[in-house]
Amino acid sequence: MSRQAVVLERVRMDLVGRSTIFAVDLQITDGEWLLLVGPSGSGKSLILELAAGLVTPDEGRVLLFGKSWADGSEDQRTALRLQVGTALQRPGLLSNMTLFNNVALPLRYHRSALTNRDIEETVNNHLDRLGLLSAKDRFPAEATAGELRRAAIARAMVMDPRLLLLDDPAEGLDVDMTGRLCRYLEEVRAGRPLAIMMTLRCWSPLGEGADRVVALRDGHIVMDGSPSALREAADAEIKRYLT
Amino acid sequence: MIGWVGSKAIEAYAYLASLATLCAQAVVDLVRPSKQGRSETSRVIIRQILFTGVDALPVTSVIALLVGILIITQAGTQLPMLGAGGLIGSIIVLTVVRELGPLLTAFIVVGRSGTAIATELGNMSVNREVVALRLMGIPVSRFIIMPRMVGMVISIICLTLYFDVVAVLGGYLVAKVKLTVPFPAFIDGVMTALSSTDVTITAAKGLLFGTAVASICCHHGLSVQSSYTEVPQQTTRAMINSFVICFAADVLITVLLYL
Repeated sequence: MSRQAVVLERVRMDLVGRSTIFAVDLQITDGEWLLLVGPSGSGKSLILELAAGLVTPDEGRVLLFGKSWADGSEDQRTALRLQVGTALQRPGLLSNMTLFNNVALPLRYHRSALTNRDIEETVNNHLDRLGLLSAKDRFPAEATAGELRRAAIARAMVMDPRLLLLDDPAEGLDVDMTGRLCRYLEEVRAGRPLAIMMTLRCWSPLGEGADRVVALRDGHIVMDGSPSALREAADAEIKRYLT
Repeated sequence: MIGWVGSKAIEAYAYLASLATLCAQAVVDLVRPSKQGRSETSRVIIRQILFTGVDALPVTSVIALLVGILIITQAGTQLPMLGAGGLIGSIIVLTVVRELGPLLTAFIVVGRSGTAIATELGNMSVNREVVALRLMGIPVSRFIIMPRMVGMVISIICLTLYFDVVAVLGGYLVAKVKLTVPFPAFIDGVMTALSSTDVTITAAKGLLFGTAVASICCHHGLSVQSSYTEVPQQTTRAMINSFVICFAADVLITVLLYL
């Protein structure tokens, strides 16, 4: 039986400033690539924030690999945190570090046994595969939106997480870089199980890699199935995110 | 009116409680060091000491020298007229070593580094860098607050002692060049008036002021929510509150120990 990577169990939240209530039941199995689509304000990013432990639901519970963010000691939560790589809409790269040092930071902090050479090799490997090697010495203020986005993804992936949360990773990427990111994610998934939860605000080739698509509207799941099934059955509004 | 006073008192209590919590967490992080992130944390501490301590040496030297000259000029011209020229040493110990040294050093550090910390952390909050650290499993307290607090405390203690030495040196220069007070009498007066308790209390004030300034500035920096316009507002609050709390703490220590 495949293990659940993420479980959102009867999660309900009163969304401040909105008349709708966010209510979601969702599971993702280990190694599955889930795409979340829907109009702005439908709750896609909120699902990622719930999974990342940034937001606590009013009701229900969120489990990652069977563990809740609310349970356990600080060390246990940190151990859980290291299994999750997150790249939110705003990358949050540390402005006083180069892109290289931003990507290296989690390794330097959590894997003190690694030598500088090991860290350099690992970081350069991720940067190279994401087409960032030539920009690695730039500070975030000097980088383009696409470079910042890819650096955030590299930082999220450098600790070899089991779950990757990506909030609109296609934003700011040109066609080549989108293709490169697709190949990068597929290569990683070919080598080891990696569950991915990804949102897209408009159609992108990145969505092609998903095993499953969940469509949201007004804080509720309106459709859940394979990309091909949704392309056939979805209404016109949802179809726009899939083709 | 009573309601207003009550609400302000509750606000002040909540503010001091949050500062105490932040401070306590930093102390816990310091005394229970984690295996993770030791080198990164040490790097932040060293950077903080360089910025707060080493880079502040020129401005501290100038201010200390001027303060020493001012005090000795005033004391050196007035006291001999009253037949109390021998009290110059006592005056410099009382005013510079006990009070002005720690206080003015704290003010210099607030103006230079405290505001820089509040601004930096405010910008980090708006840029979602603080959230990103949490997402990487890097505790904000251990990576941001504790190193800044340790760096600031070490810097402020060293700067205070440095301030005292330079101020006394400034006084010595004036005493030597301009005043009628003989230099041996000046030095003898300083050494007689200065006790090891004075030096210990000066260092203790440095410890207290450093902790207070770092926690206040970190608290206000991290209080920034979502807008860059909040950054200067919180920085100003951090500066004013640091001044007031350092002053109040100084008065309290002086009253408790010397009255």
